[in-house]
Amino acid sequence: MNKKKWFAVVLAGMLALTALAGCSSKQETLNLYSWADNFDMDMIKQFESENNVKVNYAIFANNEELLAKLKAGGANYDLIQPSDYMVASMIKQDLLEPLDLNQIPNFQYAADRFKNPEFDPGNKYSITYTWGVTGIAYNKKYVKETPASWSDLWKEEYKGKVLLLDDNREIIGMALKKAGKSNSSQAEADIHAAADDLRKLVPSVLAFDTDNIKQKMIAEEGWIGTVWSGDAAVIAAENPDVAYVVPEEGGTIWSDNYAIPKGTKNKELAQKFINFMLDPENSAKNYESIGYSNPIVKAKEFHSKEYLDNPMINLSEDELKRTEWLIDVGKHLQLYDRLWTELKSGR
Amino acid sequence: MKAAGKGKQHPLLAFHSALLILFIYVPVLMIVIYSFNDSRINSNWSGFTLKWYGSLFDNRQVMEALGNSLTIAVISTVVSTVFGTMAALALRRMASRKKKGVIGLLYLPIIVPDIIMGLSLLVLFSQFQVPLGKLTVIIAHITFSISYVYVIVSSRLANMGKQLEEAASDLGASPWQTFRFVTLPSIWPGVLAGAIMAFTLSIDDFMISFFVAGPNSTTLPIYIYGLVKRGISPEINALCTLMIIVSVALIVLAQWLLNRGNGNERSSMLPF
Repeated sequence: MNKKKWFAVVLAGMLALTALAGCSSKQETLNLYSWADNFDMDMIKQFESENNVKVNYAIFANNEELLAKLKAGGANYDLIQPSDYMVASMIKQDLLEPLDLNQIPNFQYAADRFKNPEFDPGNKYSITYTWGVTGIAYNKKYVKETPASWSDLWKEEYKGKVLLLDDNREIIGMALKKAGKSNSSQAEADIHAAADDLRKLVPSVLAFDTDNIKQKMIAEEGWIGTVWSGDAAVIAAENPDVAYVVPEEGGTIWSDNYAIPKGTKNKELAQKFINFMLDPENSAKNYESIGYSNPIVKAKEFHSKEYLDNPMINLSEDELKRTEWLIDVGKHLQLYDRLWTELKSGR
Repeated sequence: MKAAGKGKQHPLLAFHSALLILFIYVPVLMIVIYSFNDSRINSNWSGFTLKWYGSLFDNRQVMEALGNSLTIAVISTVVSTVFGTMAALALRRMASRKKKGVIGLLYLPIIVPDIIMGLSLLVLFSQFQVPLGKLTVIIAHITFSISYVYVIVSSRLANMGKQLEEAASDLGASPWQTFRFVTLPSIWPGVLAGAIMAFTLSIDDFMISFFVAGPNSTTLPIYIYGLVKRGISPEINALCTLMIIVSVALIVLAQWLLNRGNGNERSSMLPF
C-alpha cells in the first residue's frame, strides 16, 4: 500500500530528526557552563567571529548544581565558573584539569590579590573571573547613623527590618568576624558563641534571603542587611538611598572563577577564551556591561569614569585589607549546618 | 436554598467562584503588568514602558533558550503523539489479561515523581555514555509524553466503540483505509488534545530537563531558574506575556478547527 509506505517514511524521518538534533554543525564549539547573564553577549560574539567558533552558553543556578552535573558525567562542558570554596572542593575531588598559564598570558594583568589564592595555591586550576565582599547595605532614609560595625545590625531600632543572606557559612562567619575571630573558625567554642550571638539577632530579622534580597532592599521592605558588594551596586542603581560599607571588623571576600573540567576535548579553546576575556580592553567592555568587579588592574584605563567611581564595584585598598576568604572547615561544617538549622527554626 | 431550584444561584456561590478565578489569574496578571514596568526589579513600579519587548528579541540567551525549548517541544510532541496513538490503537486489540499489565506500565510515568524520572534517565544516559544535550532532553520528554497521549487517545477510542470500524471492514475497506478514513477522523480531537498536552508538558518541564540537560540544551525554564541569582529581568515577563497570548491563540484555533470538523465538513473526509 502506497500510503502505508508514506506513513513509514514520515515516521522514520521524524526519528532521524530526533537523532540529528543532538549533533549539528562541524564548527568547533566551546561549551561554557556558567551563571545566568554572567557575560556581555557582544564579547562572546566577538570571540566567536575572531576564532570562527561557536560558544554554547549553558546555565546553572548554584555551585551545588554545577558539582552534581560534573559528577554525573556525560555533560562535556569545556569551561565552568565555580565559586572559591567550590574550586577547593573540586580540586579535592580531582574534577579539574590543570591550567597551562603560559597559554593565558593576560593573567599577568590581574590584581595581586587574586593571584595565588588560598583556595587554589599557585592558580593551578582556576583564575578569578569576578569577585565581591559581603558588607552592610543600608537605606539612608531609615538608618541615620552610618553603620561602622556588624553590631549595628543588632540595634533595637531596626527590629523587623534586617535582611540576612540565606547562607550558613556567610552569616555564622559574619558573627565570628564581629567577635574578632576568623570567619572560618574551627574552634567549637567560638562557633557556639557566634551562634548564641546570632540567636539574639533572629527576632529582628525580616528574612533570610539570598535570591530576592535585592528586591527587598530596593522596595525598602528591609532597611539594613548583609549584602554582596556587586548586589549593593545593583540596588543603589535602582534606589539611590541605599549605601554600602565594609564594617570595621572586616567582611568575607568571595570570587567566581574560570576552571576547566577534567576530560574536556577543548582545553586549548577554553584557555583561549579565558585569555580573550582577561585582555584589559575586552575585560573593561565585559565588566561595564555586567556591572561586576573587574580583577584586571590594567583595565582601569579602558573603564568609564562612572564605573571607576562606583565605590561598590571598586572597593578601596583599605576595605580590601579587612577581608578574608572562607576556607574549608572540614568536619566542623556539620556543626555550622546544625547551628544554622537551629537558628532558622528559632530554637 | 430554595433559590437554587429556580435556577438562581446562591449569592455565596458567585462570590466563591469570583475568588477562585481571582486566585488563578492574579499571578498571571501580575506577570503581564510588570512586563510594562520601567524598573528592572519586579517588586517596584516605576513607570510604563514597552522597552522590554524590544530588548527581549536582542537578548541572545533568552532567544537561544526559547529556540531550544521550541525545538525540543515540537520534536517530542510529534514523536510522542505518533507513538502514544499507536499504543492506544494496539492496546485496544490486546487480550485483556496482558492488557492490564501493559496499561499499568504506561500509566507509571504519570505517577512516578518527576525527580525519580529525571534521576533514572540521567543514570541510564551516563551508564551508556550518551553525551547529555538536546537529544537526551528530547528522549526524556518523549518518554513521559507518550503516557499522556496514550491516556487521552485511548479514552477517545473507548467512547468511539467498534461498530463504525467493523462496518467499514464489512463494506470492503482495507485496514489502512479503515484507519485513515474512519478511525483517525473520529479520534482526531483526542490526538490533537494529546499533542497539545505533550507540547505544554514539554515547554513546562523543569525537573526532568534539569537532570538530563547538557551543553546547548538550556531550555526556557532552566534559564529562568538560573536567573534567580541576578534577579529575573522584565524581559522574562514580556516573554511570558507573549507566550500566554500565543497559547491562548493556539487553543482558540484548535477549538475552532475541531468545531469545524464536527460540522458539515466532516463528510468531506470520507471518500464514499
